[in-house]
Amino acid sequence: MNCDGSRTYLAAYLDDELDVAESLRVLKHLAECPDCRQTEEQQLALRFALRDPDLRVHPSADFVERIEVVVRRAAKAEARSRRSSRFEFLHFESLRWMPAAAVVLLLTLVGAFLVTNSSRSSHQQLIASAILAGHIRSLQPNHLIDVPSSDRHTVKPWFQGRLDFSPPVADLSELGWTLVGGPLDYVDGRSIAVIVYQRRMHNISVFLWPNRASADELIRQEVAQGYQILHWNGAEMTYWVVSDLNNTELLDLARALRGH
Amino acid sequence: MTPQQKLRRFEEQISPHLKSAYNLAKWLTRSHADAEDVVQDAFLRAFSAFENYRGDDVQPENAKAWLLTIVRNTSMTWLKRNRNASSALDFEETLDAARERSPDPEEILLISCHRDAVRRALEQLPWEFREAIILREMEGLSYREISSTVGVPMGTVMSRLSRGRDWLRRILSDPRPLKPTEGAGLR
Repeated sequence: MNCDGSRTYLAAYLDDELDVAESLRVLKHLAECPDCRQTEEQQLALRFALRDPDLRVHPSADFVERIEVVVRRAAKAEARSRRSSRFEFLHFESLRWMPAAAVVLLLTLVGAFLVTNSSRSSHQQLIASAILAGHIRSLQPNHLIDVPSSDRHTVKPWFQGRLDFSPPVADLSELGWTLVGGPLDYVDGRSIAVIVYQRRMHNISVFLWPNRASADELIRQEVAQGYQILHWNGAEMTYWVVSDLNNTELLDLARALRGH
Repeated sequence: MTPQQKLRRFEEQISPHLKSAYNLAKWLTRSHADAEDVVQDAFLRAFSAFENYRGDDVQPENAKAWLLTIVRNTSMTWLKRNRNASSALDFEETLDAARERSPDPEEILLISCHRDAVRRALEQLPWEFREAIILREMEGLSYREISSTVGVPMGTVMSRLSRGRDWLRRILSDPRPLKPTEGAGLR
């Protein structure tokens, strides 16, 4: 790729809109070309400035409350008009769950079958899907992070007494990783610590528990349902990192965690 | 879906994005009072349309893009009814003027990232470009989501983002930003 190509693709590259092959071509050119690197730096500076959380405008508490009241009133009005127009309503609704229940039962049976089969073939895959599910769960609206705090001196003691190990909680705020908090989760037959960081609008979950195997040289990577998953065994802990953040930045985080 | 289920699902999936809705409406209308009116109207529209929305529980971002589409359209209706939507045509002229002053589009400019300067620069941007930048940078929407929210092709999204950013870099690197009277479409 030459400078023209790099200029065409740079914005899309920084916006996470290129596929891996295209990203690599841009990266390769950036490594070779100081001019384009400078353009990149400048574009990054603008993005950084625009993502300043203090540029956002927030609704007042009164307004948030007003919207809740307005929506509930609309729901009530709708319920009233439905009740008056359909007398068979209750009877109809009470039977509606039956096909759904049948589907749930079927899925449970299929799921149980798949889980017992795959556990024989791939233990790692099972852990990967468990931590992915844990991460997605933590992204649900209103999901409570058990200890919401940006202070590692709050997060670390909180884990004590809830886990049979003391997880290292790294403060990486200087590198642009904001500590959000630490939920507990249950993976691979044991309680484990999850440390959640944030960068821009992305949440990153770091799952960790004591490592029983030898330490890894390499960080293993995979992509599942659009999420990046990184995994390695450290000297003391086993790490699984999952996020929808781009691969490059996530690898930076992994390296920072390993260095800690 | 019973009315109770609908309310519960709406409050789970849509209400958490109120802050994003308000942020977008405020940046588009440039007034707190107008943003409140727009958001309230948008929430009522969203609630009555919610049955047609096939939400995906696994991807809460979809719900956000869906809501922001309604907020955006409500804001546009409002802007058209009330005066000051500066048109893209005016902006083209202003941009051309900026290009004449600095002929090399790829020149390296030292940009000032002071928050107030960034805020003022964003406020000066005509709304087509402003909304693309807000949706991308503040709300983290993908090109595809912006394309469906704004109702223009992906190529247009990319060119609006690139021209908007270009413009911001220029304002922020110029120690003496264009006065509103100099820019044809700026207020």
